Amino acid sequence: MRLGFPVKVLGQAGLKEHDSRRWQNSPHLSVSLAYLRDIFEYLRRERIGMYRISSDLAPYLTHPELTQFHGQIEECAAELAAVGDLAREIGLRLSFHPSQYVVLNTPDEALVVRSALDVTTQAELLERMGLDDEAVVVLHVGGVYEGRERARERFVVAFERLPEPARRRLALENDDTRFGVADILWIHQRTGVRLIFDNLHHHNFNPDGQPLREALAACLATWPAGVRPKVHFSSPRTEMRIAEQHDPATGRRVQRLQAPIWTRHSDFIHPFEFIAFLRATAGLRPFDVMLEAKGKDLALLRLRADVQRYAPDLAGGIT
Amino acid sequence: MSDYDEDAPVLVAVVNNETDFARARDEGWYRIPVKRAPRRVAAEFLALYQTRAFGGVGCAVNFYAPVRRFHVLTRAELLPDEPDHPRAADAYYKIEIGPLQPLARPVPSRALRRISFIPTTLSRLLAAREINDLWLRDDPQERLWLALREAGLLVEYRCQVSQPGGDLAVDFALFCRDGRIAVLCDDADDDETGLRERRPVDYELTAEGWTVLRFSQQELAAELPRCAGAVIALARRLGGQGDLATDYTD
Repeated sequence: MRLGFPVKVLGQAGLKEHDSRRWQNSPHLSVSLAYLRDIFEYLRRERIGMYRISSDLAPYLTHPELTQFHGQIEECAAELAAVGDLAREIGLRLSFHPSQYVVLNTPDEALVVRSALDVTTQAELLERMGLDDEAVVVLHVGGVYEGRERARERFVVAFERLPEPARRRLALENDDTRFGVADILWIHQRTGVRLIFDNLHHHNFNPDGQPLREALAACLATWPAGVRPKVHFSSPRTEMRIAEQHDPATGRRVQRLQAPIWTRHSDFIHPFEFIAFLRATAGLRPFDVMLEAKGKDLALLRLRADVQRYAPDLAGGIT
Repeated sequence: MSDYDEDAPVLVAVVNNETDFARARDEGWYRIPVKRAPRRVAAEFLALYQTRAFGGVGCAVNFYAPVRRFHVLTRAELLPDEPDHPRAADAYYKIEIGPLQPLARPVPSRALRRISFIPTTLSRLLAAREINDLWLRDDPQERLWLALREAGLLVEYRCQVSQPGGDLAVDFALFCRDGRIAVLCDDADDDETGLRERRPVDYELTAEGWTVLRFSQQELAAELPRCAGAVIALARRLGGQGDLATDYTD
């Protein structure tokens, strides 16, 4: 089982995840790829086998008005191939997770087109890196428009309109408020899209009461033989939140304590929850785990040590 | 360049001949063999450290330029006039840069030391008084360096020591009146330079007249005052640094 983390590296100062210069300073995909190469070297040193690439890797690539950036994938064919070679050399599994603004099932046709372009672009980046079928673009179903069933159907239609590489690279994840495992399974049955099981989302939104092991097994079964599935794992934040509110009596802004929301990610992964998850899912098809924690790579390294300490019988199978 | 982020990454790279300097200045590019690239190659600015081959302006960082883009090319593609070079098929990073900008305050290497790649930031580059100021990093080694500097010691960071059997890299070197101190930080991120020297062992350095101090990263993180105190006490026992230290703190 490979553990991975998303985007930002905290364990070593100075490693950026993409060229974040403003458009006036001419950021370039090739500079982002050089940043990615430096991150890969860090991952090699830390023996981390899975990583989520920043969705901003290619700056302004799909910006409708900044057309000077639109040809950068073509321009960077050699550099994309070189980064892909390095990922394969290290045995690194890569993915994208487009931002919340990418929504394939919206009734807004213009937004569908823009979202499809983003998904297609990210799929093309993985293609140009020469990565195998483990490298995916992970997406949520989207919003509930005109009811869940209609929204699911609209996702199917939008999926079928995507070009082939994007359809092949896409993976669909259950979310925490709108579309649970039963929904994404419904979409899988009509499209063949692979499914990503997210444990925290499932705890937060499981209207059908599907047991975790059963839901996970169903998602794992959507991956083709020979391609290792992956899941998302996170722990909920438990501390009090500080909310800033307007006090009508004084006209000033005041801070108030509020109870936690269980959908928010914690800084680190709760080791005992994770160990319990591994024990509860023992015997299922092997999978990789993307850790979604605000501590990023530090959370991964800590979890690895925690499993070694608290469940040494499980530690051997984890990298 | 005022609209750039002050934390923008800068790669300080070495130029040791006029031809390569002219390529950077006139053609706007610099090359690094992929196999020998430092751990961090990506940057938004490239700064050029000119070696002693440049005479009076040498042993200093005098120019920097914004990075336009990176290419991965073979040497033969990069330098088509040298198709028979032994490394013609090797991959190189070609870093395209904008116009060279002179630094308002060049960054000299006071000890005229050999350096290789140094990852730093724009604010550090623009504020640096000498080459060691560029190396600062937010880790236990950096804090040790700062503690020694606050004690008035002149410390060479990431110093190469020439030996008959090949160059050795020490994390810190202190040159005192009656001897030399090599500080080695074990488990350190010691390949940042991109150099591939063998890691020194105590006896090799001792044989060359160095006194060696070793600290683990954990010691540096948890017991910095003790580690710094050990270095300061040893420097005193070796006669201190005399004028070097006074000069450094100006």
